[in-house]
Amino acid sequence: MNIYVTGYGVISSIGENVEETLLALRSEKTGIKQGEKTYTERFKVGEIRWTNDELVQRFALTQDASRTALLGMIAAKEAFQGHTLDPEIRTGLISGTSVGGMDVSEIAYKGFLAGETDDLDLYRNHPSGTTSEQIAKELGIDGYVNTISTACSSAANSIMLGARMLLSGQLDRVVVGGTDGLSQFTISGFRSLMIFDDEWCRPFDETRKGLNLGEGAGFLVLETEETMKRTEKKPLAILSGWSNASDAYHQTASSPEGLGATFSMKGALAVAGLVPDDIDYINAHGTATPNNDLSESHGIKTVFGSSIPPFSSTKGYTGHTLAASGGIEAVFGILALNNGALLPNLNFKQAIEETGLVPVKNYSEGNTIKHILSNSFGFGGNNSTIILSKV
Amino acid sequence: MYFIQHIESITHQDSFQKENIWNELKPLAAGSELISPDYKNYIPVAALRRLSTILRMGITASKACQEKVSTEFDAISVGTALGCLTDTEKFLVTINSVSGDILSPTAFIQSTHNTISGQISLDLKNHAYNMTHTQNALSFEVALKDGLLCMDEGKKSVLVGAADEAIPFLERLRGNLIKTTHPFTSGATFLVLSDEKGNGIAHIEACDVSFSSEDTETQVARFLSSNNCTFQDLDLILEGSSVFESKAKKHVSFPDYSGYYQSASAFALHLANDWLIENKEAQTILIINNLEPDKLGLTLIRRNEVEA
Repeated sequence: MNIYVTGYGVISSIGENVEETLLALRSEKTGIKQGEKTYTERFKVGEIRWTNDELVQRFALTQDASRTALLGMIAAKEAFQGHTLDPEIRTGLISGTSVGGMDVSEIAYKGFLAGETDDLDLYRNHPSGTTSEQIAKELGIDGYVNTISTACSSAANSIMLGARMLLSGQLDRVVVGGTDGLSQFTISGFRSLMIFDDEWCRPFDETRKGLNLGEGAGFLVLETEETMKRTEKKPLAILSGWSNASDAYHQTASSPEGLGATFSMKGALAVAGLVPDDIDYINAHGTATPNNDLSESHGIKTVFGSSIPPFSSTKGYTGHTLAASGGIEAVFGILALNNGALLPNLNFKQAIEETGLVPVKNYSEGNTIKHILSNSFGFGGNNSTIILSKV
Repeated sequence: MYFIQHIESITHQDSFQKENIWNELKPLAAGSELISPDYKNYIPVAALRRLSTILRMGITASKACQEKVSTEFDAISVGTALGCLTDTEKFLVTINSVSGDILSPTAFIQSTHNTISGQISLDLKNHAYNMTHTQNALSFEVALKDGLLCMDEGKKSVLVGAADEAIPFLERLRGNLIKTTHPFTSGATFLVLSDEKGNGIAHIEACDVSFSSEDTETQVARFLSSNNCTFQDLDLILEGSSVFESKAKKHVSFPDYSGYYQSASAFALHLANDWLIENKEAQTILIINNLEPDKLGLTLIRRNEVEA
């Protein structure tokens, strides 16, 4: 039974919807720049320019919530546009987030530490699960609502769980993806790990120093073939493969040989019933940290041997959007499929000496792209891969 | 079938590595504390120092489960409502008090929800499917449902668990945001789902979750009838509150024993499993998790059939 994608929505520093996103990808225009908020001004980040209040206004949202929830509502609403709720079509929502409502609770908590009166009601937005409940409420979805929190692979895992829930017959349709808003907590966290690059990040480049953080959300609507007969939706893509494996190497570092990455890519190919040669483009996790890109390169070499398909990391466009990245990049993947597009790995100059792998350098359309493989790897050794195929 | 092959809990009750946790069970007194096992038996001392309560509980309960079953887990699914609160708060304090560029990353690294399942996979050197769910008071049930799905997909031995830890800060939210009269507590329950009965006594018949404003009684009635069951068939109801007390032959409000943490329904499953040990005639138990409004988790547990 095929799982179809019948809706997609995205917001990140390169665009507020799918259309703007495609234009930015085409023009090879990065969304990363010097931060403009008090906690981002010292860093290069892929931030969305609007404040939370402005987001509510601009996108006509009905709830006041954390940044993570608001960004999720925006992308999920776009994905669900044109879909209608129907008691006969059991519709669920699975969202991935790592930071939840931290951007608002950290402000309240700061006041508390300073001995000021903190607005206790703000903490209501804190739990990660609450962000998904708020997104579901915005779409009118009830029933099965769930949140995956596996750091940077959260959205990919939500997509995967959604597909499995459909296959098992527990749901007819499911909105899946991920969202993370930037917060002081995340910025300081990655700073403490000392994996920021002060310059624009350079995934898969020999001189790469680290990542730039970003924020955003990406959501898909998944349906079974049966459901599509009732919704009469046109599929945008087929979600053909998925897998999740644990690297079990280190809490934050990836194994040098890319063991978890190898397992998850091989697992997704097996679910899709494809061989490595069938893959026409790899959207790599490629965070631009020395460790991830080397480990992922080794994993790619192990799986694809000497015939590695065109691959790139799009983190040079958006920055690393953490739990949202798998959702945002799934939207990129569908755009690549439907435009025959190869997406460039911005800022690349020099191959990593040890691997010699050269990613896609320029945007091009009209390529034959039937299957794309998308990687998302997270702290805790949570490695996930999904495969999207042309309808 | 989803057999419960083994189950372990670390809670404010004396519940770790017990034949039957009901033997030592007492209604929680105010000011009760977590009854910690000797973590050194499960975690190297050097590592132990850096681990918060939730990580200690999660790793220890998981390892105790692994010791009791011969097969390696082919999936791990963990639920947590609020995750690693101690490290989250610690890092919040750090970023608001430490000036300069050098911050210790340990608390940040250990603050993410998936640290629990990640540490378990690290400790068990397990490369299998590894998932972390977080859905407020339904965090255990959504993790359990994933575990059941893994079994449907052909996996043989699935570790499912839930953990949450209390920090003093939660008291500030009592009343408006967290409506409970029970003490805030910490707890972890991990279990092994298997397609083999082993020495287990019970299996999970069904688990359902809903995020809905629909009337709870209607939802419970529908769940029971879809599982060919009536209130009359239920030998015990374990509930997050006491709405269904009048409908039950025997009723226990599980927060009376677990205290309040949002994934405490995992401990209710342990209570259900062990209740079948003493009550030889009992067959069927329902856990109604209505800890939070507009959220409902329903888990049906049945005694394993004994072959003649």
